Amino acid sequence: MAEVKVTINGAQTSGREGVTILELAQENGIKIPTLCYLTELSPTGACRICIVEVEGSRTLVGSCHTPITPGMIIQTHSPKVLATRKVIIELLFASHCGFCMLCNKANVCNLRELAADLDVGLSPFQTRKRFYPIEDNPYIQIDRTQCILCRKCVRACREIAENGILGIAYRSFDTKIVIDNDQPLAQDTCRDCDICISVCPTGCLSKPKKLSAAKTGKPLIIC
Amino acid sequence: MPEKQIVLKNCQMINPRDINTYLARHDFKALAKAQVMEPDEIINEVKASGLRGRGGAGFPCGSKWEAARNTPGDEKYLVGNADEGEVGTFKDRYIIENDPFTFIEGITIAAYAIGAKQSYIYLRSEYHRLRNLLENAISQAKDKGFLKHVKIDIREGAGAYICGEETALMDSIEGKRGEPRYRPPFPTTKGLWGNPTVINNVETLMNIPNIILNGAQQFRQIGTERSKGTKVFSVSGDVAKPGVYELVLGSKLRELVIDLAGAETVKMVQIGGAMGRIVSSTMLDTSLSFETILGAGGVIVYNESRDTIDIVLRTMEFLNKESCGKCSPCREGTEAMVKILQKFAGGRGTPKDTGLLEELSSTMMLASLCGLGQAAPFPVIDSLQYFRHDYESRIK
Repeated sequence: MAEVKVTINGAQTSGREGVTILELAQENGIKIPTLCYLTELSPTGACRICIVEVEGSRTLVGSCHTPITPGMIIQTHSPKVLATRKVIIELLFASHCGFCMLCNKANVCNLRELAADLDVGLSPFQTRKRFYPIEDNPYIQIDRTQCILCRKCVRACREIAENGILGIAYRSFDTKIVIDNDQPLAQDTCRDCDICISVCPTGCLSKPKKLSAAKTGKPLIIC
Repeated sequence: MPEKQIVLKNCQMINPRDINTYLARHDFKALAKAQVMEPDEIINEVKASGLRGRGGAGFPCGSKWEAARNTPGDEKYLVGNADEGEVGTFKDRYIIENDPFTFIEGITIAAYAIGAKQSYIYLRSEYHRLRNLLENAISQAKDKGFLKHVKIDIREGAGAYICGEETALMDSIEGKRGEPRYRPPFPTTKGLWGNPTVINNVETLMNIPNIILNGAQQFRQIGTERSKGTKVFSVSGDVAKPGVYELVLGSKLRELVIDLAGAETVKMVQIGGAMGRIVSSTMLDTSLSFETILGAGGVIVYNESRDTIDIVLRTMEFLNKESCGKCSPCREGTEAMVKILQKFAGGRGTPKDTGLLEELSSTMMLASLCGLGQAAPFPVIDSLQYFRHDYESRIK
C-alpha cells in the first residue's frame, strides 16, 4: 500500500491509501468530534459534525467518509469549522426534547458532551419539537424524543446483530427510527442483544427501568 | 442571441407514437455513425464539443463518460434522468412527449460509448402517463433493430424530489429508500450496485445525436466560452406566454422573459427552481450560461404584486418537506428557516433574525451532504441581498 502525504493542521504527515481523514487524524492524536460514526459500522455521513476544511473544496467535507488524497491540506479546527459545528449542535438541540437533568444518560450523552465542548447554550433556533410516546418491552425502551437520527442503531442492527429490525421511515423533519414497517414495539420484536442500546449516543435507546415491582422472593432483612 | 432549435428540432414535427415519422427525418443516422466509431472516439468528440450536463450542475459530459469507461468492470450502467422535480421545470416532459426517439438514440450512443449493456430511464412518478409513450418508443426502436447492444428499462420514482439527485436516484433504482450517498466514490466509479454508472439528464442525451452527426466543431460554434450549445428553458409565472423555449447559451434573461415570454412587469425572476437563484428586475441583462446562472432551466417570473417573503417562505416550505431527512444541517436547518420566515411573514421578525438566517445559510451550504441542503439557502441569501427592505419592513 502506498503512503499518501497530507498536511493536517499545518503538520506534514502520511497515511495508507484509502484511510479516511478521520482515521488519520485519530492516528495523529487529533480529536475530531463525531455523532454518527463508529469504527465497527459503515460510514453514513449523516450527522455532519465531523466536517473539516480541505483546501480547494467548495464545501466542508465529512471526514468520516472522505479518503485522503495526495497533497490534501486539512484544517480540523479552523474557526469556520467550529462555527459550523456549533450551529449544527444548536440545530439538533432545537428539536431535542426533555431535560438533561432528568435524563438517564445525561453524564454519558455524546450530544451533551459536544455541546459543552463547543460552548452551546440555549439554542437560538426554534423548530417543532419531536414528541413521540415512549415505547418499551422488557428488553428495550425507545424514547424517540431524544433521538438525533444518527442511525447508529439502524446500522448496528443490520451490520453487527444482522437483524435489520430497525429502519428509517418518513421524510424530512418527520424522519424517525421505526421497527419493521413502523410497527409498534411488541414483546417478541426484539430480544436482549442490546447492541443498539450500546451505540446510542443519547437517551433514546435504553434498558427499561426495573423498579422494585420486579423484585421477587423473600426480603433479605427480616425484622 | 436568437432562439435556435437543436434539441427541440423534431418536436411538433414527428408523431411521438410512430418511429417511421422519425426515421423519415433522421433514420437513427447518428447511431449508425457512432457504431462504426471507436467508443474512445465518441467520447473525445463529446469532450471536444464542450457539452455540459443540462440537469443543473453543468459537469462536462465527456469527462463523465470517460471516467466511467476507464473504470474497470464488465457491468456498467447508463441512466437517463427524467426525474424532473425542480419547481417550474417542465422541459423534459415536453421533450419526451414530443420526441422520445432522439432521447432513445442518445441513450443508445451513450451506452455504446461507455460500454453499458443495461440502461435505465428514471421517470418521476408524476410522469407516469409518459411511461406508455416511452415504452412504445422503446419497443418500436427495438423492433427496428436499434437496441441490439443495449437494453433500456424504465424505472419509476415514488414521488420524491430528492431522487433527482444522482446518488439518491441510484438508491431508488436499487429499490432502497432514496437518500443521497456521500462522495467520493462518485457514481462513475461506484454507482448502481457498486458498478460504474453514468447519469445524464434527458436534455444532455438529446444533444448527443446532433454532436455525433454534425461534429463537435459545429456544436462549439454557438454559446459562450465555457457554455456551448443551446439550453431549453421552461418559463412560467407572470408571463403572457408561458412555455418551453430553446435559446443559445449566453442569451440575455431579458430576451427570454420579456421578448419571448412576454412579461409586462417584473419584480424578480427565480432561475433554476426552488434551489435556484433569485435575481431582481435590474438584472435582466444577465446572460444565461453556466458561468453566470442557469440551473436546470426552470424560470419563474414574479411581477410587482408578489410578496418576496411569501415566495421565499413557500419555496423553503417545499424544500423542508422534500429534504430526505438524512443529514442534520438540511433536515433541521430547513425547518428552522421555515420558522424564521414564518415570523417575517406574520410581521413578527426581530432584528437578529436576519443574522440567524445568514448564519443558518452558511452552515447549510458548507456542511450539508448533498446539493439539496447546499443550495436550499439560495432563495434566502438572494432575497436578503436584493430585497432586504422587504425583510426589514416586517421587523416589529
